[in-house]
Amino acid sequence: MSEKMTIKFTVNGIQEKKEAAVGQTLLKFIRDELHLTGTKEGCEIGECGACIVLLDDRPVNSCLILAVELDGKNLVTIEGLSQNGEMDRLQQAFIDHAAFQCGYCTPGMIMSARALIDRKPEPTDEDINEALSGNLCRCGAYQEIREAVKDASKK
Amino acid sequence: MLSYEYIKCTDLNLAFQELEEGKQVYPLAGGTDLIVGMRGGKFAAKTLLDIKDVPELKVLEENDRGITIGAAITLNDVVNFAPVRKNIPILAEGCHSVGSYSIRNRATIAGNICNASPAADTAAPLYALEAIINITGPGGERTVPVREFFTGPGKNALQKGELVRSIHIPAPYPEGKGVYLKASRTGSVDLASVGVAVQRWGDKVKVAVGAVAATPVRAHNVEKAINENGETNWAAAAKLSCDDISPITDIRCTRDYRFHLVEVLIRRGLEQTMGVK
Repeated sequence: MSEKMTIKFTVNGIQEKKEAAVGQTLLKFIRDELHLTGTKEGCEIGECGACIVLLDDRPVNSCLILAVELDGKNLVTIEGLSQNGEMDRLQQAFIDHAAFQCGYCTPGMIMSARALIDRKPEPTDEDINEALSGNLCRCGAYQEIREAVKDASKK
Repeated sequence: MLSYEYIKCTDLNLAFQELEEGKQVYPLAGGTDLIVGMRGGKFAAKTLLDIKDVPELKVLEENDRGITIGAAITLNDVVNFAPVRKNIPILAEGCHSVGSYSIRNRATIAGNICNASPAADTAAPLYALEAIINITGPGGERTVPVREFFTGPGKNALQKGELVRSIHIPAPYPEGKGVYLKASRTGSVDLASVGVAVQRWGDKVKVAVGAVAATPVRAHNVEKAINENGETNWAAAAKLSCDDISPITDIRCTRDYRFHLVEVLIRRGLEQTMGVK
């Protein structure tokens, strides 16, 4: 069934009105329709966190959400973090701490961490572990990721 | 791409109509089980009925009669609800054990029990709290105790046309500590190999176990030994759990290991809630 619905939403601060296929996930919609390919497709069953975006300020797995559920919501992807060409301090901290190797998990990691710092500006190690519990890094950069998040939260 | 019809519903009566008249209509709340299940071929949904913005299902409140959690309330909202943390922290622990932080931002406690996995992390705490499930449907409202809501693996007590409206934890709340102890292969995201809820009620205790039978179960033999026969040797009481459970071997662990895990976790749970003797 290729039925489509018109949805209105905000993506990275810009109001949009688009057609969304009913059978499409939010992840596919972000990548294939909005052409924002920073959000990654990993496991597609909600276990890896590569597809995490902020929906109404909450980190969620976009592979387990339908595109049509975006209607009326505020979406922020990794592309929405930089301001006036300046990287978000979390993005800079990930670079400073070399908090990745292949980088595939990084957008999801940063979105989860961004939401954490927004709700808890000075997170503990335990807070960070909880907030990133749904983000897998197969290169095993967890230690550096934790340090990057702590560093960014201090600024 | 999956193929189905999508209906956004904000009126409960329209929801009943769709559920009663349609074929293969699945209610969609968090979608974290449903979408994975559809992709894996477990659910052949022809229609998805999005109920998460139905006002009646968004209730989260405490009053004289207890705590009521609407069907559209997410697990993180339950974990962060002050009356839950204060009065029944065992339920916050159970909800917190499901999936990951981002999953819990979508997944609902009602969805966790409707999915009716015997390993559902919220189930054992709800059994130990003797929660009530409020069901709503075209014929009106009815309530069932949570132990009657689970009827088999993936099966629940809902009739065609019905929805879970809310989950109610009746007051008075238990006096004493409660713990949910989960054994799993990894620290987060994984399903429970076994899950044990031990809730102290004054000088009595209620013990419930997940992932050891076709539904979650109460450990009646353990409870009887302590509550009626005055057993205070927690290790001895925990041993009696072998007659309360009938685990299977599956991908997560063997039947024998489940017997062992349950005994150990019940003993630990009793030590943590009833005190070390």
